[in-house]
Amino acid sequence: MNALALSVLPRPMRLLQRYDDGEDARHFTFQLEDIRAEDAGMMPGQFFMLVLPGCGEAPFTYVSRPDDQGRFSALIRRMGKLTEALFELQPGEVLGYRGPFGQGWPRFYGKQRILAVAGGCGLAPLAGFIEDVARTRSGTHLQVIYGARHVGARVLSRERARWSGALPLIETLDQAGPGHRQGTPLAHFDTVFGQAPPDAVLCCGPEVLMEAAARECLGRGLRADQIWLSVERRMHCGVGLCGHCYVGDSYACRDGPTYRYDRYRELLRRSGCARELDRGELRHC
Amino acid sequence: MNAYELNSVEALRAHLAADRRLYEPRPDGQGGLHWQTVAADDAQAFEPGLEPPPFSAKAFFFPEREAMFRFERGRFVAVEPEPEAFTLFGLRACDLTAIAYQDRFFARDGHYQARREAALLVGMDCAASCTGGFCAALGSGPAVGDGLADLVLIPGASWRLLVNTAAGRAAVSGLDLKPAPRDWTRAREQTRQQAAAEQGDAAPLLAGIAALNAGRVPPQTWEALGPRCLGCSGCTSVCPTCSCFAPLDLPTDGGLRRERVWDSCLYEGFQKEASGHNGSPSPGDRVRRYWFHKFGDGFKREFGRYGCVGCGRCDRVCPGGIGARVVLKRLGGA
Ligand SMILES: Cc1cc2nc3c(=O)[nH]c(=O)nc-3n(C[C@H](O)[C@H](O)[C@H](O)COP(=O)(O)OP(=O)(O)OC[C@H]3O[C@@H](n4cnc5c(N)ncnc54)[C@H](O)[C@@H]3O)c2cc1C
Ligand code: SF4
Ligand code: FES
Repeated sequence: MNALALSVLPRPMRLLQRYDDGEDARHFTFQLEDIRAEDAGMMPGQFFMLVLPGCGEAPFTYVSRPDDQGRFSALIRRMGKLTEALFELQPGEVLGYRGPFGQGWPRFYGKQRILAVAGGCGLAPLAGFIEDVARTRSGTHLQVIYGARHVGARVLSRERARWSGALPLIETLDQAGPGHRQGTPLAHFDTVFGQAPPDAVLCCGPEVLMEAAARECLGRGLRADQIWLSVERRMHCGVGLCGHCYVGDSYACRDGPTYRYDRYRELLRRSGCARELDRGELRHC
Repeated sequence: MNAYELNSVEALRAHLAADRRLYEPRPDGQGGLHWQTVAADDAQAFEPGLEPPPFSAKAFFFPEREAMFRFERGRFVAVEPEPEAFTLFGLRACDLTAIAYQDRFFARDGHYQARREAALLVGMDCAASCTGGFCAALGSGPAVGDGLADLVLIPGASWRLLVNTAAGRAAVSGLDLKPAPRDWTRAREQTRQQAAAEQGDAAPLLAGIAALNAGRVPPQTWEALGPRCLGCSGCTSVCPTCSCFAPLDLPTDGGLRRERVWDSCLYEGFQKEASGHNGSPSPGDRVRRYWFHKFGDGFKREFGRYGCVGCGRCDRVCPGGIGARVVLKRLGGA
């Protein structure tokens, strides 16, 4: 068969461990049976397809990169048929894996100021990036704002505990009790923009949050090409063939899920969503 | 490329059918026209008629449902197609252009390529335009484009045969073919011009494409077209370039089989996510996307041409009357 053939055959992986990590969310550790160079070369922000025989497959981001034993983790929220079944699985059971797919976050070098804005489970696609910065001390100055609906809805508790010692992490809640910050991530932009504006902003969460955060950044003087989003679309093949994940004339599984905001806007404009964009009533295309 | 006189199309067909299974579009006697197997000793005359078959050749390479892998005893086992060599006889220019488009789209899809490599393509220039086709406007007919088929039948006072490829040459070896007179291209060009002229003025269609790409189509146009789409998937099924699919897990004895099945971007749930969010929630959004996929310049940049080949099938099949020709005219303001 053609050496360029796309990966449609899942590779087996085992469920190693899982623990509850947020509302209806669990932190899963998987182990790939055969490890390939591309697994270890995964870029934060890329995703994999998790195949649950009998339940189809679905995209999830890596929370950690596959190690030399093929172990990696993902944070998964219970949503529908596949995740329900996944939550019932016992450690040791075999699932399928395809990946890594898509484009990760851009690479930053040197002493840049980066702001990461995450909402809800949108912290998961940013986790690998935050972890890399927290661990390598590359000189990159990273600030993170993480918003969730309430205390119990927050995900990645162990990771957050680790990061909070290594970098500025602002956590905020829609419904905050005593001792917690209140409001959406946008309510705290004054704090992070106060010292010096970031050189780049990475954003992942509900599309309304990302759109609102991007507009807020533009309003504060950032250019659209300094902002990156990670968008969510329905995905089946992960390799640009099945057609489900389109954003204008781009396939989010192949060209995304991370898009630079100016390019994302251009995609929407080209595909006829310009007016909605300008009116601020974003409908997705 | 070599041109020959062809005394009998049936003799060529019989010769090819002796080697490999051969399909040709034939009336089914009940008003339908289908791709059917023709045996080497079949005596029926080759009468292509004016209209293309309602279904293109798409399913020969990208079947409506196809097994991708099996899951058995904790292992994933690839299901590779093992197609026998076959010939498609009498492919029209539009459908050949669509095959070339899909060759590019599925360039790295092993299943598609395995079937594609098994096929010998015998094209045919259209002697006259079908009703509703507009291939001339989109540069995909009515004459078969260079390099699209292994062999090409050229109608006229008598048939001629073009041999385009090494596979085509091998397939006709043993036939006694005499070279066509040198001016064969002139007669061919005349037929092409005549058939193209029958399709009428291309300008209103091209104006629609231009308006779409210039962002001049107001949202109200899509909102008005939307309710006329019944989400029946007729257009996406008959369209020779539509290729969206969905995965399907089917239980088997002691395991399961994963198939991919044709899907349609005009179904309401096509982009619906587990969270309930839908990337294209209204019929107008979905209709806009469908036509943008066929006529968007971004797709043209990636695949070398527009996704529509002007075969006219969607206009024939759409119960809401919003096929390509109608929609392009509307977008262009005609
Ligand atoms: C690329 C990508 C990969 C993903 N990977 C995974 C994965 O690996 N596993 C997984 O389970 N899910 C994944 N998701 C799912 C995604 O993160 C969630 O669906 C999404 O974040 C919604 O989460 P939620 O329902 O908890 O958010 P909500 O609880 O609805 O909101 C979360 C935050 O967003 C803010 N917010 C909400 N609405 C607005 C508004 N209108 N304006 C301003 N702020 C607002 C809230 O204030 C809150 O701070 C992924 C998503 C993307 C884009
Ligand atoms: S969009 Fe319509 S006219 Fe164009 S190739 Fe598809 S079915 Fe034929
Ligand atoms: S997931 Fe199939 S094309 Fe993107």
